[in-house]
Amino acid sequence: MLSLVYYLIVCKSLTYAQRTASVLERSGIGARILRTPRQVSENGCSYSVKIAQRSLPAALTALLRAGLTPTRVFITGSDGSYREAEL
Amino acid sequence: MIFLDSAATTLQKPASVRQAVRLAMEHAASPGRGGYPAAARAAELVFRCRETAARLFDVPGPEQVVLTFNATHGLNIAIRSLAVPGSRCVISGYEHNAVTRTLAALPVRVDVARGQLFQPDELLEDFAQLLPGADFAVCTHVSNVFGYILPLKEIAELCRRNSVALVVDASQSAGCLPVSLTELGADYVAMPGHKGLYGPQGTGLLLCSPQAKPAPLLTGGTGSESLLQTMPQFLPDRLEAGTHNVPGAAGLTAGMEFVLRTGPEHILRHEQALCRGLAEDLRGVPGLRVMASSDPALQSGVLSLVPEGMDPEALGEALGQQGICVRSGYHCAPLAHATAGTLETGTVRLSFSAFNRASEAARAASVLRRSLKKGRTEGNGE
Repeated sequence: MLSLVYYLIVCKSLTYAQRTASVLERSGIGARILRTPRQVSENGCSYSVKIAQRSLPAALTALLRAGLTPTRVFITGSDGSYREAEL
Repeated sequence: MIFLDSAATTLQKPASVRQAVRLAMEHAASPGRGGYPAAARAAELVFRCRETAARLFDVPGPEQVVLTFNATHGLNIAIRSLAVPGSRCVISGYEHNAVTRTLAALPVRVDVARGQLFQPDELLEDFAQLLPGADFAVCTHVSNVFGYILPLKEIAELCRRNSVALVVDASQSAGCLPVSLTELGADYVAMPGHKGLYGPQGTGLLLCSPQAKPAPLLTGGTGSESLLQTMPQFLPDRLEAGTHNVPGAAGLTAGMEFVLRTGPEHILRHEQALCRGLAEDLRGVPGLRVMASSDPALQSGVLSLVPEGMDPEALGEALGQQGICVRSGYHCAPLAHATAGTLETGTVRLSFSAFNRASEAARAASVLRRSLKKGRTEGNGE
């Protein structure tokens, strides 16, 4: 079960989100694809991968190893807002 | 019925293909158009198709696998992306109309590397002469008319040496010959899903190298960057406007899984053995030119025949009436006929799949002999 505070890895396309989730799951990191909330999507529809707060360091390592560089990652606030995380 | 027209489409498919298509139609919606379970299932099916293709064809990432309607669609994207006014393109003398008509519609100069049928050294010499200074090349892996396996690896090497972008038409090789996007260093590899990959009609793949800069052939909704009025820059979205053929992709995945399970090299050996057996069986038939290579390694499971004194169309028709499904005529490849010297007549083509048996080839040979004899007798007014 993911905690209430979580990270959103914003992906440019559904395929990238699927690839990202696939890499994370193969590394034993729980990942769920969801549509990017409007507050953080830049140019309209996109998909994101949701991971638990504690998983971010391992997730970034796994993604870099697979040649995937996340460009934008957001963390949820307790009020439901999103704040861009500095990578 | 004996189906010997698999170079056009494989009619006999693995049961898993039919099942996958049915399940997708019943349970999958549209990928990238929602977050609900049926959309997620559709997304998963399409992604699995990309991943399976990436594994089979050695593509670095699933996003570089673009789903198309067929090989022609992929070839159009590839060729139109590379052709700028005034550019020069080199093609083999065995190309299909999917390549030659597309090039004829564009303001480019086309040079043809010919080389006689089943003479790969001649073809390589022609390519070596023509490639310097060219902008791009298009080459089929296997001739759809003669089953001639072109020396693609060597042609790709020549292209790399001359910094010429390469488009490969793998319509007749995908599923039975090794095709590696990475090893070839090709910019694009196009293939249908409904031939040697055993997927449904209306499916195809375009493999794009990381250095490729494809231009969209169609524009429209992609489920991404919806606020912009330009197509996304990234693959596969850039080339996939509109709703996907999800049942087709699911069936194609099942077809590729069948190929991976069976082994492309096993399928090739099986088809080549049937083709060789048929060619040997027919070689002594008077008035029948059998277009078979003396080196079996140069020919896939496709055999063309030229009946003398009988129209190939009439022979194809006679065979069809007796339950032998073959194709006659030009097979949409007049250039290949011009190169091989069969432009006057066309040919009767018999092509095999993993599902054909030796007994079917023997039966086809027997019916063919009888039909030829009968056709000539009738033609002579006897």
